[in-house]
Amino acid sequence: MGKLRRLVLDVLKPYEPTIVELAQLLSDLEGVEAVNISIYEIDRRVENAKITIEGSDISFQIVEKVIEENGGAIHSIDEVVAGKIIIDDAATLQDPYPG
Amino acid sequence: MQELREYSDIAEIGEIARRYFAMNAFDGVLTIIGVLMGNYMAQVRQPAIVISTGLSTCIAMGISGLWGAYLTESAERKRDLDNLETHTLTDLSQTKIGRASRAAVVIVALIDGLAPFLSALVVLVPFFFTAFLPEIAVSYYLSLGMALAALFGLGAFLGRVSKGNLVVSGLKMITAGMVSILLSYLLKKV
Repeated sequence: MGKLRRLVLDVLKPYEPTIVELAQLLSDLEGVEAVNISIYEIDRRVENAKITIEGSDISFQIVEKVIEENGGAIHSIDEVVAGKIIIDDAATLQDPYPG
Repeated sequence: MQELREYSDIAEIGEIARRYFAMNAFDGVLTIIGVLMGNYMAQVRQPAIVISTGLSTCIAMGISGLWGAYLTESAERKRDLDNLETHTLTDLSQTKIGRASRAAVVIVALIDGLAPFLSALVVLVPFFFTAFLPEIAVSYYLSLGMALAALFGLGAFLGRVSKGNLVVSGLKMITAGMVSILLSYLLKKV
C-alpha cells in the first residue's frame, strides 16, 4: 500500500477542544510532519474546519480516531496525496479560469 | 493532572467550581453561625451538644450540596451535551467532551458538598478543645471569631477572583456574618 503524504479533510467540530489543541494532537502522530487547520465557517456551537495534514506516512485511521475522540466529525475527504512524493492536481482544460 | 486540566478547559469546570465553592462555603459558615448562636442563646453549656448539633448540620449541608449539585449538574450537562450532539450529529458520549462532562459533574458535586461541610467544621473546632479552655463561653467566642475569619478569607478569595480589593471584599463578607450574629442576638430580646 502506498504511503499517505497529504490529507485534506472537511471537519465539523465543537469549539472545545480548540483547533490549537487539535493541531498539536494531530502533529504529534507518527508519520505526520505538519498540520494546518483553518476555520472557514462558525456556527452557534460548532465550527467548520479545513484540516490539512502532510507527512511521510499518515495513518488515516489514527487521524480519524483523534478527530472523533475530540468531538469532530469528518464530513468529507477533500484531497489525498499518496506515493513517494507530493504532487498537486494537474491542470486541465476543464478547469475554470482563475479569478 | 494533565487530563484533568484538559477536562477543565473543555467543560469549563474552573469557573463553576469557584462559584459553587464560594457560595456554599459562605452558606456553611452562616448556617453554623446560626446553630452556634441558637445554642448560645439557649444557654447550652455542654460542648458535646454543640458538637453533635453542629456536626449534624455539617453533614446535612454536605449531603445536600453533594446530592443537589450532582442531580442538577448532571441534568444540565446532559442537556448541554445533547444540544451539542444535535449540532455535530454525532454521539459524543465516548469522546473527550463526554468524559469531561462526566468529570465536571463529579468534581462540581464534590466541591459543592465539601465546601459547606469543611467550612462549617472548621468553625466548630474550638468546641473540641473546650476541656482545655477556662469556660465554654470562650469556645463560643473563638468559634464565632473563626467564622468571621473564615468569612474574611472567603471574601479575600472572591476579591482575588475579581482582581479587586481583598480587604474590602473580605469586610463585605464579615458584615454578613455580623448581621447574622446581631439578628440572632436580638431574637433573645424579643
